[in-house]
Amino acid sequence: MLQGSIETYEEFEVSDPEKPRAVIETKGLTKSFGALKALDGIDLVIREGEFVSVMGPSGSGKTTFLNIISCLDRSSAGTYLLDGIDVSTMREKERAVIRRERIGLVFQQFHLIPYLSALENVMLAQHYHSVVDTHGARAALARVGLAEREAHLPSQLSGGEQQRVCIARALINEPSMILADEPTGNLDAENERLVMELLATLHREGRTIVLVTHNPDLAERTDRTIRFEHGRRVDNSGRL
Amino acid sequence: MFSRLLTQSFRRDWRRKLLAILTIALATTLMTALASLSIDVGDKMAREMKAYGSNIHVVPKSESIPLVIGGVDYNPLTGRDFLQEADLPKIKDIFWRNNITGLSPFLPVKVAMTRAGDGGDTGSEVQLLGTYFKKPIKVEGSEDFMTGVTTTNAFWRIDGAWPAEGALDEVAVGEGLARNRAIAAGDTLSLAAQDGGAPRKVTVTGIVTAGGAEDGQILAPLALAQDLSGHVGKVASVDVTALTIPENDLSRRARHDPSGLDAEEYDTWYCSAYVSAIVHQIEEALPDASARPIWQVADSEGVVIGKIQLLMLVVALAAFASSAMVISSLLNTAVMERSREIGLMKALGASRAAILALFVGEAVVIGIIGGLIGAAIGAGLAQVIGVTVFGSAIAFPAIVILVVVVGSVLIALAGSILPSRTIAGLAPVETLYGRR
Repeated sequence: MLQGSIETYEEFEVSDPEKPRAVIETKGLTKSFGALKALDGIDLVIREGEFVSVMGPSGSGKTTFLNIISCLDRSSAGTYLLDGIDVSTMREKERAVIRRERIGLVFQQFHLIPYLSALENVMLAQHYHSVVDTHGARAALARVGLAEREAHLPSQLSGGEQQRVCIARALINEPSMILADEPTGNLDAENERLVMELLATLHREGRTIVLVTHNPDLAERTDRTIRFEHGRRVDNSGRL
Repeated sequence: MFSRLLTQSFRRDWRRKLLAILTIALATTLMTALASLSIDVGDKMAREMKAYGSNIHVVPKSESIPLVIGGVDYNPLTGRDFLQEADLPKIKDIFWRNNITGLSPFLPVKVAMTRAGDGGDTGSEVQLLGTYFKKPIKVEGSEDFMTGVTTTNAFWRIDGAWPAEGALDEVAVGEGLARNRAIAAGDTLSLAAQDGGAPRKVTVTGIVTAGGAEDGQILAPLALAQDLSGHVGKVASVDVTALTIPENDLSRRARHDPSGLDAEEYDTWYCSAYVSAIVHQIEEALPDASARPIWQVADSEGVVIGKIQLLMLVVALAAFASSAMVISSLLNTAVMERSREIGLMKALGASRAAILALFVGEAVVIGIIGGLIGAAIGAGLAQVIGVTVFGSAIAFPAIVILVVVVGSVLIALAGSILPSRTIAGLAPVETLYGRR
């Protein structure tokens, strides 16, 4: 596995039975907002256990892509296979099940409920997944180094701590995939390092991780980087 | 977790929740007061309406035989048959005795009236109506029962004083007769029976305004009429006021033919305060009497009370609808303000039902708290209305609290229908990224 390699379109097209199974597979994935195409015919495969970064300038469509593969949004055209199942045509109810069962989401803006403590924010994901388990939620917070901060409200935590609560919430239900949208975008260097170490640890444990970032230094720490420009995939030379 | 979310929602957004609770409380206050009044208004209004006249007329059975040809009554017994004054207490001994609120016996006598100072005037023929004015009668097994026209015809007005009960030398004169013959309170009249008995000198104690035929008559104590007519211990008719419930199909069928009812229907009818059932029971108590409801009064009572209850229902529904709209507006604003939170919940995989449960839960809590507050205030308001309008407290059945609280929860739920649709329409990706 080459650290920080930027694959070519041709490389992606090759089907290799020796490689791990594809967990995310898109074909002609397109998302339009009126006349604007935020995504324009994206074909790609992300395999089980990969740590993939998605890079590109602002407006290149990387967040739109992440929203679609995390089942938060729908494509306008094309197909999206998750573990071989076409989810692009699923009803919202079924997509909600996928979100809570298989995907852990980490947001740039953290999106913590302001009136719930750190522990309760983690338990909220448990609440919508199955049953609330305080011990499990505490363990998740301990894992991100926030065991002592469980009773604090988001407003009482630093940005880095809030993002770590967000990561604890993302992994509390043991999802197979972590999808992170600019998770270090609002953090200082030290917290960026902590968050990236956490993601690297989760990757080593076998989870598939997709990291949307505009930071090449972070992209270098992933297995491979997919580059978007103007809603299309390009190779490292900017070629379509 | 659900209760934590619910509690926190109330704690951090208490102003809006308080406003919603007050809205519900206001509506349920009105609903409670109207419900209590609606339940009790039948009795209250019936009592009020009894002031405008009796609703049952009792005559000797012979007079009930119809023999009217061309509008002329050819019944030879009319005016010749009588009821016994001594039987009057029996009317207060029927099954619905407590619903009998007044009775007045009548005995009309034609007399020749001469006003003192009219010189050799032989007198003109006028009708003297003997009755009770305010006479307690003994009823077996209970307190004395106050009878007389001051009870059954409370709308009659007297300028002066009513004649003393049982007095043979005092009368009141109808307003029309007094005006025509220039009679005033304090005048002395000479009354002679038509059979030529010795004339009696009586003093006019007051001038009566009755608004009916009595305005052209002399009103006298029953004893004087009996003395003048020679029918001692007898009365020609009795007017009875009774608290009744509005007629329905059962009572209408019974009115025509009680024997046509089956046993169960008969029991239901007999044990309900329909005017027809009370009339039937009076005839059982007085076998020689025929009791007839005065349908204009009995029917109009039901119609008026029915209309009042309908009006209350309309007002209650208007309160229900308006408060539901306020709740809907408040909840919808809350949903929009919390759209990012809702988007996050959806992103975490919360089902639409789970999010709806949170808002519906809030609505139910608001409904219960608002309903209980409204029920308490409404109960008090009903009492104030009862005392102010009817002069007595309103009965407040406990079931009203349950009905009103359930009603207020329904208001809150009705108000959460539109916000629920808003929640359903929120896409997580739009709310999380502030596009909505």
